[in-house]
Amino acid sequence: MSYQVIAIAGFIYIIAMPIYVVHLITKSKKVGYLATASFLLGLLIHLIGFVQRYKEMYAINQSLLHSIPITNLYESIVFFVLCLVGGYLFIEWKYKKKALGVFVSTLAGIIISLTDLLGVTKEVQPLVPALKSNWLLAHVTLSFISYAAFAVGFITAALHIVVASESKKSFKYILSTFLLGFMLFTFISVIIDILYSSNPKTVRIFQSTLGNSSAVVSTISWIALLSFILGFWYIGDKIKNLLTTLRIDSDFLEEITYKMIAFGFPIFTIGGLVFGAIWAEQAWGRYWGWDPKETWSLITWFVYAFYLHSKFIRGWRGTKTSIIAVLGFLVTLFTYLGVNLFLSGLHSYGSM
Amino acid sequence: MSKLNRLNEKIWQFFSSVDLAVALFIVISIGAAIGTVIPQRSEPDIVIKFFSKFLPMNLSLNLYEIVSLLDLNNVYHSWWFTFLLFMFALNLVICSIDRLPNLLKSIKKPTQPYPESFLRSISTKKEFIYKSKRQEILEKMLNLLKHNKFSTTLFETSQGIQIYCSRWSKSRLAVYLTHFSILIILAGALVGTFFGLRGYINIVEGTSSNLAILDNGRPIYLPFEIACDKFEVEFYENSSVPKAYRSYIRIIEDGKNVKLNNKENFVVEVNEPFTYKNITFYQATYGFQLTEHTLFKFKFLNNEKEYLVNLEFEKKNKLPNTNVYISVIDFSPALGVDEEGRFFTMDSSMINPAALILFEEGNRKFHKWILARVPESWQTPYGQLKLTEVWGAQFTGLQFKKDPGVILIYIGSTLLCVGLFICLFFRPLRFFVFLEGNKVIFYLPTKKESVLSEIDKILNKLEGK
Repeated sequence: MSYQVIAIAGFIYIIAMPIYVVHLITKSKKVGYLATASFLLGLLIHLIGFVQRYKEMYAINQSLLHSIPITNLYESIVFFVLCLVGGYLFIEWKYKKKALGVFVSTLAGIIISLTDLLGVTKEVQPLVPALKSNWLLAHVTLSFISYAAFAVGFITAALHIVVASESKKSFKYILSTFLLGFMLFTFISVIIDILYSSNPKTVRIFQSTLGNSSAVVSTISWIALLSFILGFWYIGDKIKNLLTTLRIDSDFLEEITYKMIAFGFPIFTIGGLVFGAIWAEQAWGRYWGWDPKETWSLITWFVYAFYLHSKFIRGWRGTKTSIIAVLGFLVTLFTYLGVNLFLSGLHSYGSM
Repeated sequence: MSKLNRLNEKIWQFFSSVDLAVALFIVISIGAAIGTVIPQRSEPDIVIKFFSKFLPMNLSLNLYEIVSLLDLNNVYHSWWFTFLLFMFALNLVICSIDRLPNLLKSIKKPTQPYPESFLRSISTKKEFIYKSKRQEILEKMLNLLKHNKFSTTLFETSQGIQIYCSRWSKSRLAVYLTHFSILIILAGALVGTFFGLRGYINIVEGTSSNLAILDNGRPIYLPFEIACDKFEVEFYENSSVPKAYRSYIRIIEDGKNVKLNNKENFVVEVNEPFTYKNITFYQATYGFQLTEHTLFKFKFLNNEKEYLVNLEFEKKNKLPNTNVYISVIDFSPALGVDEEGRFFTMDSSMINPAALILFEEGNRKFHKWILARVPESWQTPYGQLKLTEVWGAQFTGLQFKKDPGVILIYIGSTLLCVGLFICLFFRPLRFFVFLEGNKVIFYLPTKKESVLSEIDKILNKLEGK
């Protein structure tokens, strides 16, 4: 089955992460190549799984266009990670800098693991009538491409703040190191979650760590989380030195953040908002209905519009604008997953 | 008088500032977010119940006072949200007017060289020493710049030659396209609010109607009648997952069927709306309702011969080729069997229609359920009796709307996308090249790596590397 192939790809993404870390610390070129090679291998297997999934969908739906596997939460997560890894490898190739791979592989590992930990169904399902639309296809595909761009922008923005902040007591520095530390902890936690689960469908995220039934393990986990966050907060300047020796400086991070958002924003506008509106008009008879998903997409749009306009505000340069890119991705995540988990609406990904 | 002018200027500055725009982004976002949390357009008790989930009751009641005062249970149609959107539009207009002169200036090519002190103040500088003739290197450089889509303006100064290079500077104008398109979208929404119409109409299979209910609960008569000949739900093979919902309709105007493109039968499906006289109909819901004209259609197999048998509810009919009279005495749209073997109706949609048939042969009477999708249930002592269709027992729920603003929304959205793509994918770039003695100096007002690497490539070619 396709999800088994995709699980292998996810496993390789997770393996790639420590290799990138070793590269970051040792600066060995060979390790760098190994890291890229493993990430690329993961991407290839991922693509094979994607194509296989497409075939499985086609067997049910008998439609070339409507068989593109992006129609439920599992498939959307898989497609998002595909865009994230593909997009990142393109940047790595274009700028010949590998250090960002540590964070991209961490994020890719966490998100692909969510398919096991949110209890989402991985079975191929026939399309319900509302989802049979070419607009939907364009809407979802472009949305996830833009989300992937925002994700890379989030990583570079958070690193930019860590690298360029003058004070460790500033809110943006604390928030960025908190998020990076939390990301790293989550990465390790989801691996433990998956390793210790006999049947993945019954495991919830953080169940084997923070939410462990044993008070000892749970306490240790909380202490670990706290030390990860404090650790990141403390070693911010060391990260800066590490990155600088790998030719990643504050200007580069700022530039990539801007590039990612300048690329993602128009894609999000056309795919997320406009195509979504056209689809809604055809399926439900209204282009806009303040459905929670729609509303949060608009909020996401406003946050990134804020980012793009912030350079025109007097005194807003550098890390101050990067914090908006960080917040923007948190809002994006909420639009993508949070709305379905916490608010009700019309979008099909809500049903897991 | 001057005091008034100053006040005017301050107001103008306030409305043209990016600060206001950004503040509006934030406030509108927060307002919109509140609307996704607090139940919207619902009765007070639902809102209070929502709060009481995490607050004590008396506090919930107090909170509801605030909610109803600020229309937080109807955020998107509240006076303050409308006001914020109005401010947003005003900000866009005034900001655009305010910035136009400066923008036009920045697009124009300079008519005289920039002072040398200005060039020297530019952050990034790249230089190399050339050995060939000046004219030769100049020509080569101009060609290279042209090849990279830069337009160039040359000035001879006392120190040397100053070249002003720019690319895609006109893409700055696309900002206007983007901002203007947002105004069009807002205008489209306004038109829809004031001149639009929305509601729904339910039609039972085999009947026609023009009585519709608007979203605000007011009934209206459409200028034409809609007849529903048939409604069907198609399922994926061997499952109860619906594949398609379909209404077969006709439009009746002045007692006649309306023909469009020589067709008078139309199909409305999810994602395939139907439009007549600017009113668009969408497949929205459906339901089950037994009526007088409901027809149960059977296929009866007797001695290798197939007969079609139609039955009305509770009316007797003879089974062909036999002495048996049958009638339908009960019906279920979706018959299920519970753990104790009892039948029950599990859904109001026609997932598995079933009819309870009374068989009468002389004095002998018995009854039996026949389920449309369960072949085992078709067997009777007289032959196979298959329930093929229950017609006239469903209604289709069509949503309709008339929104003259949609065209504006589409135009605005298209312009918005075009504008954004030009704005963000064709970043304007300008820089200076200075030829002084045997040196070529590039002055770049940017540190962007992608730009610098492009310039490096030009430099490498220039040096013949």
